[in-house]
Amino acid sequence: MSVKKNFASRLSLYVLLISAGLMLFVSVVFGLFVRSAVRKSAVQLTQKELDNAILDIEKVITEVERAVDNVDWIVEQHRDDEAMVCQVPRELVSANPNIVGSTVAFEPGAFKGRPYFAPFTYVDATSGEIRSIQMGGADYDYPMLDWYQIPKLLGRPYWSEPYYDEGGGEQRMSTYSMPLKDETGAIYGILTADISLEWLSDLVRSIKPYEHSYTLMVGRNGAYIAHPDSAKVLNETVFTSALEMRDTTAMTIARHLLAGERGMLRFDNDGTDSFAVFAPLSNGWALALICSDMDIFRNAYVVNFVLGALLLLGLLGLFFGCRRIVRRQTMPIVEFSNAALTIAKGNFKARIPEVSTRDELLTLRNSLDYMQRSINDYIAELKSTTASNERYESELSIARDIQMSMLPKAFELKGNCDFYAMVQPAREVGGDLYDFIEAGGSLYFLVGDVSGKGVPAALFMAITRAAFRFIGALGLPMAEVMRRVNNCLCDGNQNEMFVTIFAGKIDLKTGRMDYCNAGHNPILVVHPDGKAAYLRARPNLAAGLFENFPYQDETIDLEPGTRLVLYTDGVTEAEQADKKQFGEDRLLEWAAGLTPDASAKAAVIDLYARVKRFTDGADQNDDITLLSVLWNPATKTIQE
Amino acid sequence: MNVIINEEGEKALVKLEGRIDTTNADQFMKDITPLLNGAHTEIDMDCADMEYTSSQGLRMFLMLQKNVASRGAKLVLRNMRPHVKEVFDITGFSHIITIL
Repeated sequence: MSVKKNFASRLSLYVLLISAGLMLFVSVVFGLFVRSAVRKSAVQLTQKELDNAILDIEKVITEVERAVDNVDWIVEQHRDDEAMVCQVPRELVSANPNIVGSTVAFEPGAFKGRPYFAPFTYVDATSGEIRSIQMGGADYDYPMLDWYQIPKLLGRPYWSEPYYDEGGGEQRMSTYSMPLKDETGAIYGILTADISLEWLSDLVRSIKPYEHSYTLMVGRNGAYIAHPDSAKVLNETVFTSALEMRDTTAMTIARHLLAGERGMLRFDNDGTDSFAVFAPLSNGWALALICSDMDIFRNAYVVNFVLGALLLLGLLGLFFGCRRIVRRQTMPIVEFSNAALTIAKGNFKARIPEVSTRDELLTLRNSLDYMQRSINDYIAELKSTTASNERYESELSIARDIQMSMLPKAFELKGNCDFYAMVQPAREVGGDLYDFIEAGGSLYFLVGDVSGKGVPAALFMAITRAAFRFIGALGLPMAEVMRRVNNCLCDGNQNEMFVTIFAGKIDLKTGRMDYCNAGHNPILVVHPDGKAAYLRARPNLAAGLFENFPYQDETIDLEPGTRLVLYTDGVTEAEQADKKQFGEDRLLEWAAGLTPDASAKAAVIDLYARVKRFTDGADQNDDITLLSVLWNPATKTIQE
Repeated sequence: MNVIINEEGEKALVKLEGRIDTTNADQFMKDITPLLNGAHTEIDMDCADMEYTSSQGLRMFLMLQKNVASRGAKLVLRNMRPHVKEVFDITGFSHIITIL
């Protein structure tokens, strides 16, 4: 089952999405917080490392400076004692492991009038022996060199910029030079101490709080004194490096370094997010420690990864747990659904599952229960109604049989008179009727149509038929028969029921027909020559309405071969589906096209078929009655 | 079937619209009940828009006519369409109900 179709999965997914969103938010906030805290502690750590390194370096520098300061007075007191003066640099070098070379260089002529006097003691880089030489000469005019000139001009001690000592030590060195002054303050020489910078590189290289962090040291002019890439030392400056970088922050850091400031700055170290902490040394040099974010956040990244993995696991657990709980909680819904389906399939007694909770599920269960009971009640009622309807229909069916049996079915030839009739009620029982009676040498016949339909009409039809049958048998004149039938129908007719009747009386000897029309449709007369016309009789009034209404009859002599067609308005008003009616014209047309020697029965059946063809299956909306009389037919027709 | 009754004092002006057949004859009876309470001395029915009446409808007109006649009031049907008038003529109802 897909997630979309499964309620539990869908709900769990929503919970999961919301939880994931919340957790993501918390993680981001937490991550940012952790990042900030980690960076803060990293900066503190690196600054501390840097400060410790500076302390170490300052210690060396101070020791060198102090050692030089301490021997200053020896030179001063034994200015003319060559042995003592030569002893001073030797003492400095041998007593101080940091000092790899030392000299006492006198102003030209200041030592016993000699143009140069500079005893130099140094540690031989290859053998490690301490050696002493005299410097100075035409090829080494030391008073013109920086290490001599600058402190002399400044009048105070000076640390030289680092340099590569090609003459003796073959190493990177820096020289501390102190002017020697006499009682008057005049400078008569310079006392120097050289220190190797190799140990400085080692020390700087050892400052490595993080795997990829590195430390560099620059001199006053920005030249690298120490750098992880030793090729850069003394060959490049911090400015040339900064110029090659995209991030201009590097240049700012370089300026801060040279300005002797302390601080921290973040910058893009050629594609690596990094930060630098920097601090100055007392002699104008400066140290900078550079760390990448990757390094300092490594642990944070691990923590974040573990946290993320845990959250993911938690979310998965939440999803499955939630789905399981929802599925269990909604299980009754599935059961209800199954029960409802069972009920829908017709098992109305299906058991609806019980629920133990007092919540919406109980409400749903009660609703289902109520529905089931309502359906069962309804079905019981329906059964009873159906039974009652069946009884009613059965009674109606019997009533129809009774009604149909009231109408004569045996059509015997009466003298020269052939006749036939039929009734087709629109419902089980109807209000149309026809009848024949032979009395006093005449044939009395009628066609009637009771107002309305169904059972009331059928009852009134029965009364009409009984009245005609009784009164017609008396052999009275036509008008009198109608008057008596009318009075009979008016008796107790509170519902204003009425019946339209066309009744006729044919003298079976002469063919003279007396007829009386009580509000009925005009009848058709088809003459022997085939011409058909409506017999527009005096309408009088439908029977059953006014007692003692003066019905009047009329008379027509029938020529042999004359055909009469009586009908009710169920014929002329027979409707097609589009409400088009059969009408008097179509009836007349049918009559004109009738075979002259067709029997009364054939004519009736043909007309009925014609009407049915016309309505073409549309519901019959009124009773149809047809009656035909053929007077003295040219060809005798045998009646069934 | 619509029956619209306007009263002008003791005169009722009635307008009939549509068909009266088996399906709505009872409703038509209810609709004209206000005319049977004897309040009107003259009932004038405009039948111009009456399309058809079945024999059930004729019964209603007859009841109304008898009710009106019994208290000496007048019932008049006007502007009847020819094929509707024909039903009244054939059944002889034209004799007992005034059709103008």
